[in-house]
Amino acid sequence: MTQMTFQEAVVAAIVEEMDRDPTVFNMGQDIGPIYMGAMHSAKGLSEKYGADRIIDTPISETAMTGAGIGAAICGMRPIVQIMFAEFLGMTITPLACEASAMWYKSDGQISVPLVIRVLCGAGPHRGHAEDYIGIVSSVPGIKVVMPSCPADAKGLMTAAIRDNNPVIFFEHMGIYHGPRQEVPGEAVAIPLGKADVKREGADVTIVATGMMVQRAQRAADKLAAEGTSVEIIDPRTIVPLDIETVLASVRKTRRLVVVTESWRTGDPLSDMVSRVAEELGAEGPLPIARVALQDTARPFALPLTRASMPDLKDIIDAVHKVTKVQK
Amino acid sequence: MKPDENLKVALYQNLVKARELEEQMTKLAGFHAGVGEEAVVVGAFFGLKDGEYCAPHYRGALTAAHMRGADLHRLIASVMGKATSYTRGRVRGDICLPFQFRTLGMFSGVLGNPMNIATGMALASKQRGDGTAVVTSFGEGTSNIGGFHEALNLAACLSLPIVYVCQNNGYAMSTRSDYSIKTGSVADRAVGYGIPGIEVDGNDVIAVFEAVQTALERARAGQGPTLIDARTYRLSGHYTGDNNHYQPSEEREAWIARDPVARLRADLAASGIMDEARMDEIRSAAHAEVAAAIAAAQADPEADLSALGPDDLYCPDDAERASA
Ligand SMILES: Cc1ncc(C[n+]2csc(CCOP(=O)(O)OP(=O)(O)O)c2C)c(N)n1
Ligand SMILES: [Mg+2]
Repeated sequence: MTQMTFQEAVVAAIVEEMDRDPTVFNMGQDIGPIYMGAMHSAKGLSEKYGADRIIDTPISETAMTGAGIGAAICGMRPIVQIMFAEFLGMTITPLACEASAMWYKSDGQISVPLVIRVLCGAGPHRGHAEDYIGIVSSVPGIKVVMPSCPADAKGLMTAAIRDNNPVIFFEHMGIYHGPRQEVPGEAVAIPLGKADVKREGADVTIVATGMMVQRAQRAADKLAAEGTSVEIIDPRTIVPLDIETVLASVRKTRRLVVVTESWRTGDPLSDMVSRVAEELGAEGPLPIARVALQDTARPFALPLTRASMPDLKDIIDAVHKVTKVQK
Repeated sequence: MKPDENLKVALYQNLVKARELEEQMTKLAGFHAGVGEEAVVVGAFFGLKDGEYCAPHYRGALTAAHMRGADLHRLIASVMGKATSYTRGRVRGDICLPFQFRTLGMFSGVLGNPMNIATGMALASKQRGDGTAVVTSFGEGTSNIGGFHEALNLAACLSLPIVYVCQNNGYAMSTRSDYSIKTGSVADRAVGYGIPGIEVDGNDVIAVFEAVQTALERARAGQGPTLIDARTYRLSGHYTGDNNHYQPSEEREAWIARDPVARLRADLAASGIMDEARMDEIRSAAHAEVAAAIAAAQADPEADLSALGPDDLYCPDDAERASA
């Protein structure tokens, strides 16, 4: 075990895979030795691997994505850094129209082992918070990963690089340079599609992603003092979603609160909610609450940013709402 | 490189088979035939090395795949979505080609993707350092898409081994290229990327072949991409049933007079490489081969529901890689 920030953990996983596998390379804007990637997202890579494997590109997200796909289908394992998730719209044509479909439509002739890295979320950057996760999650064939802590970031990046499918890897800026935490010193892949129970509890299930996992933890601490026992599940991969772990928890608690930093409308976890209702709704009362971003463009000023996204009070209120209902 | 007699004969064989394919397939529903444009397709994709990849324009795609080794009957079955298609009916075979022949098609109906992705196929060549290069083609209408400009600029920045061939038939559906492209030639756009831009007579299969081969040699030698504007004309409709009412008749007549098949025949006859009778024989054989392939595909069973594969969403892990 060793101690790393989220950012260090992601880069460490990339280093391990690049050392192991000569087909892994990186492509992105300003990832070279001068700038080392937005928010140091590629720190140290260029010094270690040089310009052949850490390729600086012009501002051409569509071509970078297309090039990543093309290299991937010809035997390479590219990691394409699309600086911010806000730019994912420019990748949709090659990524969602082609790459997502290739394995299925080619009847197994083509696989696309491609990782797209994106920074997202409200954080020190004061911009580029939008993740558009609802858009990319709605297309079958793309895996969507959003880690909430350094250890998961490392293990999930390892798995993403080894995966034979296009994976979008979201790196939340609000926790990017947070406190160092324990991470495994060697490469240990965390399987994509496997949720993690971050806290065990009996009364209510909170499903949270990204930075909201920490917020849910804080809410759970406060609720514990009131005598409410909260179970927290972090799906870690939004697509494919580990619905079984969620169902097992809700089967036990029969109360569900979902906390995400996505727009309420089109949030991929709203589909999870309908699946929970389908599977478990007939078995008795099943109070559900969702805490999400307000359905507007993301406002700029700090008080507005804060008020537009789930905070501690919103989460606690949502839990109170579902615990009011007797089992 | 001057084409020798054998090469010219091979080009003729491919050209007439392409013509037969386009003419016979355009009688089927929903086909985007390229009658009149065959010289660009044959010239661009003939003679690629086995280990090399390509990504042809959708119009003429069957010919490109067939030249790379795909079976005519199965290609046509793929157009029809039959059980014998290369993907058991999962993708429309007129625009999407079997990748096992290192030939990429469209996995969606969105123009501009194959030439964009081909840029990455060339990046893989460069990363491997094996001296292979990539050829991709696209319509002149497609050269107005943003991704086209990004791709060519990126290829120029990274000096990628790729040849971009514009199959310039003067029209995007009914939109004329003199309306949508304000540089006189698509080749002029190359200036914007700092790469060579070459205009070639797209109805002269030998000229197209030579231009592409020269650009390929350059690419294989690590000297970067080339943009070739191959000028041709679409005599068939945009798709089955389009009657080309938007094409002025004098314009059509002028292009019919420059028909690529007739021109190669004249060249072969004049240079004494083949006589008319031999060329007719080759044409009849091509006609029969295509007709038989269509008939066989028509007789094939429809796609089987076992191909539906709701659980085939992801490529599984390699056990070895996942456990490393
Ligand atoms: C992104 C996109 N826009 C529009 C279309 C609809 N469309 C299909 S073919 C075509 C014309 C394409 O023209 P060109 O690139 O010159 O190729 P050609 O059909 O002439 O061979 C259009 C507009 C499409 N398939 N994809
Ligand atoms: Mg055209």
